[in-house]
Amino acid sequence: MVFSDQFPLDSKTPAPPEVMADVKPADLPRPKLVENDRSFGWITNKVCGIVEEKTPTWWWVAFACATSLASFTVIGLTYLVSTGVGVWGLANPINWGWAIVNFVFWIGIGHAGTLISAILCLLKQPWRTTINRAAEAMTIFAVACAGIFPVFHVGRVWFAWWLFPLPNANAIWPNFRSPLLWDVFAVSTYATVSVLFWYVGLIPDLASVRDRAKSKFRKIFYGIFAMGWRGSTRNWNNYEMAYLLLAGLSTPLVLSVHTIVSFDFAVSLIPGWHTTIFPPYFVAGAIFSGFGMVLTLMLPLRAIYGLHDLITQHHIDCMCKITLATGTIVGYAYTMEFFIAAYGANPFEIFAFINRAFGIYSWAYITMFTCNVVTPQLFWFKCIRERPHVVWVISIFVNVGMWFERFVITVTSLAREFLPSSWGYYSPTWVDVFTFFGTFGVFSTLFLLFVRFLPLIAVAEVKAVTPQADPHHYEEGEHH
Amino acid sequence: MSTEATATGAIAASPGKKDWSKIFLFGGLIFLIISLIGVYMGFTNGKARPAYGLLIMFSFYLSIGLGMLLLTMIHHVFGSGWSTVIRRQLEHGIAIFPWLGLIFVPFLLISYLSGDPGFIWKWFDKTAVETDVLYQAKKWYLGQTRFLISYFMYFGGWIYLAHKLRTYSKAQDVDGDPKWTKKMVFHSAWGIIFTALTLTAASIDWIKAIEFHWFSTMYGVWFFAASMRGALAVVALICLYQIYKHGPLTGMFKRGHLYDLGCIMLAFTVFWAYISFSQYFLIYNANIPEETFWYNMREEGFWWWISMGLVFGHFLFTFIYLLYYRNKIRAIRMIFICCWIITFHMLDLYFNILPSKREVYDMYVPYPFAISVWDITAFLGIGGICAWSFIRSWNSSNIIPLKDPRIDESLRHHGR
Repeated sequence: MVFSDQFPLDSKTPAPPEVMADVKPADLPRPKLVENDRSFGWITNKVCGIVEEKTPTWWWVAFACATSLASFTVIGLTYLVSTGVGVWGLANPINWGWAIVNFVFWIGIGHAGTLISAILCLLKQPWRTTINRAAEAMTIFAVACAGIFPVFHVGRVWFAWWLFPLPNANAIWPNFRSPLLWDVFAVSTYATVSVLFWYVGLIPDLASVRDRAKSKFRKIFYGIFAMGWRGSTRNWNNYEMAYLLLAGLSTPLVLSVHTIVSFDFAVSLIPGWHTTIFPPYFVAGAIFSGFGMVLTLMLPLRAIYGLHDLITQHHIDCMCKITLATGTIVGYAYTMEFFIAAYGANPFEIFAFINRAFGIYSWAYITMFTCNVVTPQLFWFKCIRERPHVVWVISIFVNVGMWFERFVITVTSLAREFLPSSWGYYSPTWVDVFTFFGTFGVFSTLFLLFVRFLPLIAVAEVKAVTPQADPHHYEEGEHH
Repeated sequence: MSTEATATGAIAASPGKKDWSKIFLFGGLIFLIISLIGVYMGFTNGKARPAYGLLIMFSFYLSIGLGMLLLTMIHHVFGSGWSTVIRRQLEHGIAIFPWLGLIFVPFLLISYLSGDPGFIWKWFDKTAVETDVLYQAKKWYLGQTRFLISYFMYFGGWIYLAHKLRTYSKAQDVDGDPKWTKKMVFHSAWGIIFTALTLTAASIDWIKAIEFHWFSTMYGVWFFAASMRGALAVVALICLYQIYKHGPLTGMFKRGHLYDLGCIMLAFTVFWAYISFSQYFLIYNANIPEETFWYNMREEGFWWWISMGLVFGHFLFTFIYLLYYRNKIRAIRMIFICCWIITFHMLDLYFNILPSKREVYDMYVPYPFAISVWDITAFLGIGGICAWSFIRSWNSSNIIPLKDPRIDESLRHHGR
């Protein structure tokens, strides 16, 4: 203890006055997280008002379009179940086609929500508060869409429960050495914790909607889900602890899910799949695509509901910069794969990468590289980041590019595998197309329902990052 | 532009105190010369161990310097507030690149001008690898001219970046102009990309290519993770030393800063394990002989125990230790874990470098593990010069960035 006392770490230890006398911070104020000094009341009215107002016409139109599109998935799956997996474009040697491409695509999108909520929470990044709720909702809906593909790929979907190690009459037991089985556990755990995290965060805001409700039905409906929240100190204490624990629990989960998805490919011997950088590269790609989708969804909502004071230019800047950073990391991985394929001097590996870039699927590789590495570089420029419509277009490029990345990885390696006699070319059938594009309808339907019935911005959390929530605010004389 | 940080009594150097920088410089030079004599004697007798001792210690200090450079740039691009009081220490640390660049020169002399060019990197000896089919397939990259150009490019870039970041930071101490912050952010933004690429290439050139038969796409990421761990542990020790017995950082570096440093150390402990495990696991599972031999060599002799030490010491123990809040806020406990991490970081470099110098080249027999006296002289020699470089920079600037826009945030930082 005596030795420890030699290290004065206490926050009350005074700094040398001669140093403090020279401390004169340069004037570079931090951007505001809520513009125009909005009050607590304004924030509540703005966000809860979206749930309380009469359903707007655009919502009905969008909902009708989304459900119509979702019906494509229903049609595709119905035809698949009634006929067999052969109706998909899967054929030797490409036995993993759009099914796994779509699965990885949607799982990747499902990363941003929990990343924003959990990792940015642990990193104490206050700007996450206005976008975390919608991003978390998006995560859950994306994971739901992702789950469709492997479940139906098993062929007899009614036996999908065999994926779990449950005793059954046929003594069929899953292969624990397969990363596909690890996916079952990783994705289901991730989905469960994401739902819990989302729901815990919603409770204070559901209580606000309940307290403002004018009809008895709304009061009961939101009251049930608010779980008796009263906003007491004890409520908040438990809430903060639960939120922190879930953030801590979610963080390794976010990383583990896409790591295991990358293992689906990387544990094999297939050229182009067996590469050690896959785990962090997939995680970076997932964050990249997730932020792409957050931008795609949040920018229109910001415009429609006039949320410019809550989702500010600073928020858009931050999201663009993360997209730029992760896009560049993905570019690093593409480069490293190519370089090590050449440096490793394995002829199969070299062929796989030359084939990717210059072979029959070069169109897909070029699309992938352009959308994922080149286009996000526009975010270096402030003038681009300040134009929401341009940002939105780039975010679409990101979504497209990330789908193509999974397509390139999956299909190009299988189409030109070890035996030239079995080389083939993959073409999706109409069932593939229906099922995949329909999932955008499923996703949109769920997201529209979320926008309509739940507060799409975390009201309580946004209030906590406003200047007036700072205990020192009034000491500094910034009264309203 | 005047960058003289002559303002005030905040200047760190105090009159009447012993100037440790010269002691470190002379001590460092003496040990480095002894080390170089060892390299020369080893070279004339065909014994590479002293040269490998120098390479391991060079890689050790280089990794810490690169980690500090990345931490400085990450601080800027994230617009971080809490770490501003720590940043000045990082800026002193990144002053070492010109000297590290010079310390690398003996390796170049041996490889380019001596009668045994393959003494360090086997592939430099064209006659020895002439019949090696793998060399023939890789010689488009493993070229002597490219290697030399890369050396100048890596060090040129790191020295330039470090110089710019240090100069702008000191300039802000004088005039308090926020434009310096914007310039530092700009240089950090491209600098991170440049450093990521050059760090990867340098780790391939100088470490991985000792065993040029082997390859892994993850290698650059491993070196990044290892560098960050080393740099964080060193900077925590430096900050703690500077509050010891009410040292110059007292009242500025507080428990909140130490706690947050501990948290980042925990995060990078997990990240290092994630990277190292992923590399090992994917190679193990695929079981392709041209990849697995690298790990097989490291399971022989005492290397097995070093491997286990990395798994249980560098990861598991550190991970569990840093999970506990109290271990991250008590100075003495943090000093312990920082020294622990630094020791294992060095062992990690031994693990990556030394076995690749095969004892029996054709049989893939790894060089046995041992800590030689030449390792110690190289450690003290390069360390002395790095310490001199650090103190020299420290003596010529203010203890903290006095006029940084975020300095108040950092001074008020309580953590948690």
